[in-house]
Amino acid sequence: MARDTRAFGVAAAALIVLFTATPGWPHHVGTYTARDNAISANFKQIKFSIQAGKFDVARSLFEDGALRKEMLARAGRLPPGLPDTVANAIRARDSKTAEAALALFFSALARDLAREADARLADPGTGADARVAAGGKFLEAIWRYWNLIDFAVSERDPKAAVAMRLAFEEAETESQPGPRRVATAADPARLRASFARVARTLSDVIESLSAVTRRNS
Amino acid sequence: MPADRTTEPAPTTWTLPPLGALLVAIVLIACAEIGGAAMVRFKIDLARWARSTMLRHPAVHGLVGVRDVDEQVLDEALVKFDAGLRLFHMHAEGMGLVIIGTTMVAVTLTASPVSRRVIVLLLTIGGAGYPLGYLAWSALIPYHGIERGKTLAEWFCWGPFGGATIVAMWWLTAVVAARMVRR
Repeated sequence: MARDTRAFGVAAAALIVLFTATPGWPHHVGTYTARDNAISANFKQIKFSIQAGKFDVARSLFEDGALRKEMLARAGRLPPGLPDTVANAIRARDSKTAEAALALFFSALARDLAREADARLADPGTGADARVAAGGKFLEAIWRYWNLIDFAVSERDPKAAVAMRLAFEEAETESQPGPRRVATAADPARLRASFARVARTLSDVIESLSAVTRRNS
Repeated sequence: MPADRTTEPAPTTWTLPPLGALLVAIVLIACAEIGGAAMVRFKIDLARWARSTMLRHPAVHGLVGVRDVDEQVLDEALVKFDAGLRLFHMHAEGMGLVIIGTTMVAVTLTASPVSRRVIVLLLTIGGAGYPLGYLAWSALIPYHGIERGKTLAEWFCWGPFGGATIVAMWWLTAVVAARMVRR
């Protein structure tokens, strides 16, 4: 009986240790891989069709897809006639111009997000930590779009592509908590400066890609 | 005439676990099956409910009101919400069988009545409570977010119930090992 009591005591102690320790061991509940949205999925379909030389397929995917709809919805913030530039390039089997015009569109999407993030960070109605956390989410969205066109931009304007990556890394460092952030406390002003740099770099990318599409169309 | 070896009594016969433990295990497996069926039947309704609840708690999920940003946040939460339900289904099925198997070993091989009772109790309660943590996590995600929901599930389900099962399993291991040494 005494042995039972001792065993029970040991088990109870082990249980207490486990109970207090387990929340420190994060449960593995699977990983999440970011999925394409309708625009990026449509972009990939068009890109791969062009790369495979299936220009008729690419044209119909562009004409009926989410990407063109989004281009038309944002027409005011894009170089004039961008949807026509893409459609004409596909029709002419000009993959380089089509790729440049599509890269331009995603650069514009990413730049708009950087500007929106900057505006949100400037809003004093929200706490500094919440603003910086939201900035991090904007950065993730910007990177998702940039990632789609990184290679295409690097081919045409390697300096701009490197500048964009550096600006992004700087913003990422400012937005992440812990040792990676340079400042100890969340600092929306520093993150704003990083977003401004990202937006400026993307504007330069848009400018250089516009020149390419104008020259070729 | 040589003896028929198949009819010889075994050196040890398995003892049935307490009916309460068996009932808990079977109810757990039944819940797993209902959970799996409900996941398929109400997949869209569940996703709609989770999405609308998350949209009602934008601050919890860090939603900023920009489609390109929010759609990824919502998608991740919905994927994890679904993963929680799947993990509940899988763990409840598995732990039901674990309860049956391990309590049977405990009642058969543990000589001390107190140890036997405690081991069976820990295995039954721990085994039944642990899978519920995944269900709780899923239910908590729309209201508290992925990480906060996980922390709550760890404190109230995975930690205590999983801990109880682990302690009972090692205790049972010690009992079986001691029996082997004594033999």
